[in-house]
Amino acid sequence: MATTGNLTAAPLAARPVLGAVTLLRIAILIAIVAIWEAVAASGLLFRDVVPSLLVIGRQLLLILIHPDFPLHIDLGLGSSLVFDLKIPEFYRHLWVTVSEVATAMVIGGIAGLAVGLALGANPFLSDAFERFLYWLGPTPKIIFFPIMIMWFGVGPGSKVAMGTLSCFFPVALSVAAGMRQIEKVLIRVGKSFRANTWQMITKIYLPAMRQPIVNGARLGMGVAVIGTLLAETKLSNRGVGFLIINAYSTFDMPRMYALLIVLFVVAIGANALVARASRG
Amino acid sequence: MAVEPILVVDDIVKQFETQDGPLTAVDHVSFAVTPGEFVSLIGPSGCGKSTLFNIVGGLLDGYQGRVTVAGETVRGPHHSIGMIFQEESTFPWRTVIDNVAFPLEIAGLPKAERMEKARHFVGLVGLDGFERRYPAELSGGMRQRVSMARTLASQPKILLMDEPFAALDEQTRLLLGDKVLQIQQELKQTTLLITHNLTEAVQLSDRILVMTYRPGKIKRVVDIELPRPRTSEIVGSDAFGHFVAQIWNDLREEASRGLRDDESRKLHATGSNE
Amino acid sequence: MTRSASKFPKAAAVLFGIGCFTALIYAIEILIRIGLINRFIVPFPSEIIASFPRIVIEEGVPSRFLLTAIEALTASVMLSIVGISLGVLLHRVRLVRLATETWIAAFASAPLVLMYPLFLVIFGRSAWTIIMIGFVAALPPVILKTLEGLAGTRAVLINVGRSFKLTPAQLYWKILFPAALPNIFVGVRLGMIFALINIVGVEFLINFGGLGQLVNELAERYDLPGTYAAICFVILVSIVFFVVTERIEQWLRPGT
Repeated sequence: MATTGNLTAAPLAARPVLGAVTLLRIAILIAIVAIWEAVAASGLLFRDVVPSLLVIGRQLLLILIHPDFPLHIDLGLGSSLVFDLKIPEFYRHLWVTVSEVATAMVIGGIAGLAVGLALGANPFLSDAFERFLYWLGPTPKIIFFPIMIMWFGVGPGSKVAMGTLSCFFPVALSVAAGMRQIEKVLIRVGKSFRANTWQMITKIYLPAMRQPIVNGARLGMGVAVIGTLLAETKLSNRGVGFLIINAYSTFDMPRMYALLIVLFVVAIGANALVARASRG
Repeated sequence: MAVEPILVVDDIVKQFETQDGPLTAVDHVSFAVTPGEFVSLIGPSGCGKSTLFNIVGGLLDGYQGRVTVAGETVRGPHHSIGMIFQEESTFPWRTVIDNVAFPLEIAGLPKAERMEKARHFVGLVGLDGFERRYPAELSGGMRQRVSMARTLASQPKILLMDEPFAALDEQTRLLLGDKVLQIQQELKQTTLLITHNLTEAVQLSDRILVMTYRPGKIKRVVDIELPRPRTSEIVGSDAFGHFVAQIWNDLREEASRGLRDDESRKLHATGSNE
Repeated sequence: MTRSASKFPKAAAVLFGIGCFTALIYAIEILIRIGLINRFIVPFPSEIIASFPRIVIEEGVPSRFLLTAIEALTASVMLSIVGISLGVLLHRVRLVRLATETWIAAFASAPLVLMYPLFLVIFGRSAWTIIMIGFVAALPPVILKTLEGLAGTRAVLINVGRSFKLTPAQLYWKILFPAALPNIFVGVRLGMIFALINIVGVEFLINFGGLGQLVNELAERYDLPGTYAAICFVILVSIVFFVVTERIEQWLRPGT
């Protein structure tokens, strides 16, 4: 707004501070590292609760790089195209977790989308049923895990079920709310051209709801990851969650820290990727 | 004029940095207001009048020239200047009476005294009975009256208003204009009104300063010789129409310059984000 | 929830919803009885309901509820104090805000609760592990909402303050804070809900604590109706908490 000038509400003037910001960030990181190492070296906390960053770093490298898991790839085209690789075992577990989360998101996402569309389009259904979703949403889904185990076994099925259950609610609620926020006139335009239900969904509802759907998907992804991983920590022998609880039970603290770091980097990175992709 | 002016705006020049280079919003504007006078500054959108509002009110700096109030140079918000803003500015979490008592609270008046004073000003703007209500329960026009009462409660020597009725419909504006005339009559309040509404300016003012489109200069000064005390009835009179017509000519010229300039800028915009 | 635009009165829809829910319960009961659903996987709804009194009395639901509530309350108080203070700090010192806001937003989307094994090591299998997880996992939204509320104060309100020559402290206490209060409360409520979810979840996972632990214990004992009943209790508590905080929020924001 070129005409109003520096009527800033902030107490400081609007000087460019980019250099200072980066410096402050670096300073904060250095401070954290310094304090951590100091606590680690001093032995103030119970030994090993705060291991030196060097030890953690070593574990990190071991996890990510040290090849300790045999991977046999046979392309079925003769013995010349058979590979016997060794990869870090971590990636096997990562793959398990990622595929569980992805499956959960697909099932939970589609179910959530369908239910959300139905509730958003039909006020009667919304009045009747949406409150159940609204109330069940903010409950800890992990307590349903024993039931999931009974229904889907102790394998990946129960983990996927946990993720799906977690993911379903935010998606359904976001889609339902998004439907109601669509400009009524756009719906009338579609109906005036006698679009059928499928066309209405794909050509009018979904494009008009891009923002709420994306927000719901991001939220759904976040809780799907949590639900799946927590289930893995409870009962599993594969997956990143399993690795973390395994490190706990063997009291391998550096390994636990390293795993948590990798987990957070991947989770935050995935979220950022989705955010960037949805803006483009 | 023989009377010493209470507000002197002396040769103000204000430029802004934009992506197309420096833009002169106000170009050597000077005028003075004597005590008890009601002066309007009128001009098309983009003539720099809001910039002047912020400069006189002390909310904007980085300009050339000087603004003095009763001899003191303005360097930041001055205690003798009361501002009424265009936008919705009541505090939604305070009742009407607490809103109006706000400046008195800041000044440290004891509760009983400031409540009594606040009640007086609530009555002055015609909102008796609404003291305990919250702004959300009032109409837009009533909320603007609350903002007005709040500023008046600080008893400023000069009242500075930036299109306070812009968001209201025409009838409400005329009736509020009546209120303003009444209040001005009673308090002999020195007022500087920034507006783009011609009817409002002529209805309320003793003198109108017509501004040009950017870069803003004073194009013409018109003395409104309509009798006081006035009411909104005056809007229908011949003399009123005469003044409106006179000023409209000037305004129309500036407004169409503004329109043309605006259109050509939009045409050449490379993806504007305004 | 929005006003109904349906052709039918809202009460009818609500009754229909409740009716469908009840019908579903009956249907499940019948399907189990005739053997279409395995009764060792899904217990009879009648059995579940019948186990309610037993669970409440024998498993000490009220005292468990109290424990969970105290954990949640402690975490909530810590959450509010630390979260709001950090939000205010970030708003006051613009440089710190610019440097750290994106980091906090990133942590808001991270699975913080997965740190519970770490807290187990530090605090042992105790209430403090549970409280700390509730606190840490729910902190980012409180900070961010406080910041959002303060930063989102309408410029004109701040200009009113400036025109009355308020000191920076007065600006904060008399204008910025009251203006931000609705947002701050939304943040605190969000934080409290996250905290409760994580607290009950971790109680279940580490088999310690109140209601969450009850679910785990009954599941390990293969008390099927009991497990389902305990889950129902948790859902009930969660709903009540959610609705009560919603009412408080609406009372604090007249006109919402």
